[in-house]
Amino acid sequence: MFRRSLAGALAAGMAAAALLTGCGGGGDDASDGPVTLKVLTWEPGGTEYWKQVKSTFEAGHPNIKLEMQSVPFDKYPEVQGPYITSQSGPDVMANNAGLELFDRRGAYVPLGDKAAEITKDLVTYSGACEGFDTGKTCYGVPFSYQGNVLYYNKAVLTAAGLDPEKPPATWDEFGAACDAVKKAGKTCLALGLSGTFPAYWDFPEITRNYLTEDDIRALLAGKLSWKDPKLVAVLEKLAEITTKGWANKNAPSITMLPDGADIFQRGDAAFAGTIISDAVNWEAFGKALGDDKLGVTRWPAIDPAAPLAQKFSGIEGAVYGVTQWSQKKQAGLEFITWLAGKENGELWVKYGKGQPLNKNVDKALLPSSPAFLKIQELVAQPTLHAGVMLSGPEADALARGWQQVTLGQLTVDKWAEQMQQALERSPTKKQTK
Amino acid sequence: MTISTAPASEPVAADAPPAPGRRRAHRPGQAREWWLGAALVLPALALAVLFKLVPLARGVLTSFESSSGFGGSEFAGADNYTRMFDDPMVLTSFRNALLVVATLPVWIVVPLVLALLIHQRSPGWKFFRAVYFVPYTIAPIVVGIMFRQILAPDGPLNALLRGVGLQPLAIEWLNGRHSALFSLVAVALWSFFGLGVMTYLAGLATIPEETLEAAYLDGAGFWRRLFSVVVPMLRPTVAYWSVLCASGVLIWLFPLIYALTQGGPGDATMLPEYLVFLTTFQFLDRGYGSAIGIALFVFVAVLSIFSVRHMFTEGTRKPR
Repeated sequence: MFRRSLAGALAAGMAAAALLTGCGGGGDDASDGPVTLKVLTWEPGGTEYWKQVKSTFEAGHPNIKLEMQSVPFDKYPEVQGPYITSQSGPDVMANNAGLELFDRRGAYVPLGDKAAEITKDLVTYSGACEGFDTGKTCYGVPFSYQGNVLYYNKAVLTAAGLDPEKPPATWDEFGAACDAVKKAGKTCLALGLSGTFPAYWDFPEITRNYLTEDDIRALLAGKLSWKDPKLVAVLEKLAEITTKGWANKNAPSITMLPDGADIFQRGDAAFAGTIISDAVNWEAFGKALGDDKLGVTRWPAIDPAAPLAQKFSGIEGAVYGVTQWSQKKQAGLEFITWLAGKENGELWVKYGKGQPLNKNVDKALLPSSPAFLKIQELVAQPTLHAGVMLSGPEADALARGWQQVTLGQLTVDKWAEQMQQALERSPTKKQTK
Repeated sequence: MTISTAPASEPVAADAPPAPGRRRAHRPGQAREWWLGAALVLPALALAVLFKLVPLARGVLTSFESSSGFGGSEFAGADNYTRMFDDPMVLTSFRNALLVVATLPVWIVVPLVLALLIHQRSPGWKFFRAVYFVPYTIAPIVVGIMFRQILAPDGPLNALLRGVGLQPLAIEWLNGRHSALFSLVAVALWSFFGLGVMTYLAGLATIPEETLEAAYLDGAGFWRRLFSVVVPMLRPTVAYWSVLCASGVLIWLFPLIYALTQGGPGDATMLPEYLVFLTTFQFLDRGYGSAIGIALFVFVAVLSIFSVRHMFTEGTRKPR
């Protein structure tokens, strides 16, 4: 019995050592008194969820205290950038899965062999790994699933003489619906083009009609030219959204968050294309409009026969990793391991009202909102999310180009040229070319 | 009493420095004074080197590096500088900067006129003196957020214009290529001009009352007094305010751009300082961001140098 206990203790010790090794070296955790971990987050899931994260984690880990630095999502890069440049600041921080994380991978400790063990109960975690390949280096841990849907206000559709149970499924139907909504005196699509939201939220929805998964990987690698007819067609359709008058007129000068989402939440617009988890999801809209008034659908298909047209552009949500400069790497690893676990998965469902990645989350906890259930149906057929494949310069050029096209200051061909220039000056994609 | 036309002999000052080339008499008191002076200057010198020269030198060094993401960097020679000439965004940002600089006369004259009105005790001068300064005390980021709402297509400004029958003037202030930049500058001016008024008021306090009174009694009107009496006597103050404005419009507008337009729509309000930030922290191109920053530094330095030189000349001119 003693021998078994000793073996167990040794195994535990070796596991801890391996964790540290996988983490790129030992930490300098304080041996006496609790360790305080500084966590930089934009609070995906809301303040209440993060309060629960803090209290639940600290209760189970008396030797670790969490000190949260919360930053609004649209201001996050501006706060995080200087930390990374100066190689100082939080012990644990987050980035969106995909290129945003890969761009900043130098700031995170590679998880090494521990990645598979930490994430063993997650449905997917490839967005935390280089090239969306779990066989390559992974830099952090996701716990939520993210992607885009088109929310709609049933009351606005009804007032416009449309059937709220049959939202437009094709591009032409969407155009017709917008004409009807406009006649009824409302905005069709609530939109804000300032910032990088168009890249993350709207671009992948159009892209699915023209690109295959291989094309999307080529986009990530910087090998797909923006002058390629498929991508030019994507830009043309994005331009149509605003040039056909489907969106609010002030879209070029407002942000999607909070301005664009506010238009929808006020009941002044029929549709809003946003996300399934985190801020401005089905829960926030349900609260504002009433769960019975809120509908969810896939973005209308331009080519319903396209291989990805009926899929869901999905991506792991925020990925939390331990920073390279942290002196508390072991505690940081404990925290992100806990984030990937069942306990946090259930908190995420209960308080964040989002889609969990942990397979063991109690299904009875899942919300019963009709919108949430519809989203469950939509996410069942996932594909790669083209928005997170864009580099910083590309995402910026996409938003600025769309603003200019909307205002009649730029043609789509010129926009494609600017996108290509942005790709060529993208530091991270230059390397992979 | 007779007045001699013979050149007066130079007075011999007790502490006059020895003539150059002449061997200096070594006195222990002098050495002690020199060391004391050096010791007093040294902290200021160290701070200037540490917080001004070192970051500047580091910025210059970074501008010669090519970096990928937040990873390592390598020496890139002058690539980052040559790249700027082919980058339409950089060229647009400097073109926008020139447009902003072209508004400097407004920045300089408007506060001066208002300051003179307050100085000559125009009706309500106490109220306006306080009111003009209030916008300066509001954080620029808050000003930006405030004016995003005020300038919205259906915002209060357009509602007011429509209400008083000026419908054609109720434009989309932040959506137009030129109106967005104009709006940004106007908001900045609203935010900063109070400081200008205060600066000029401080300068006006140094002008003897009787000078202005004499001009008034001689029949000089407001504008005549402004340009023929006040401006000549306030030259150092005008030069000082000009330097502040010239550098201010190029390097202090960041919070307003960030909150109001984020450089858009398109590149309509993209200024070099915002592009430095975007390039460094969003595009993760530190070397290139630094190069744009150094180009901006040179641009501002060139613009300011004439005013600064003029200011020093005025400040050190001996009274006639």
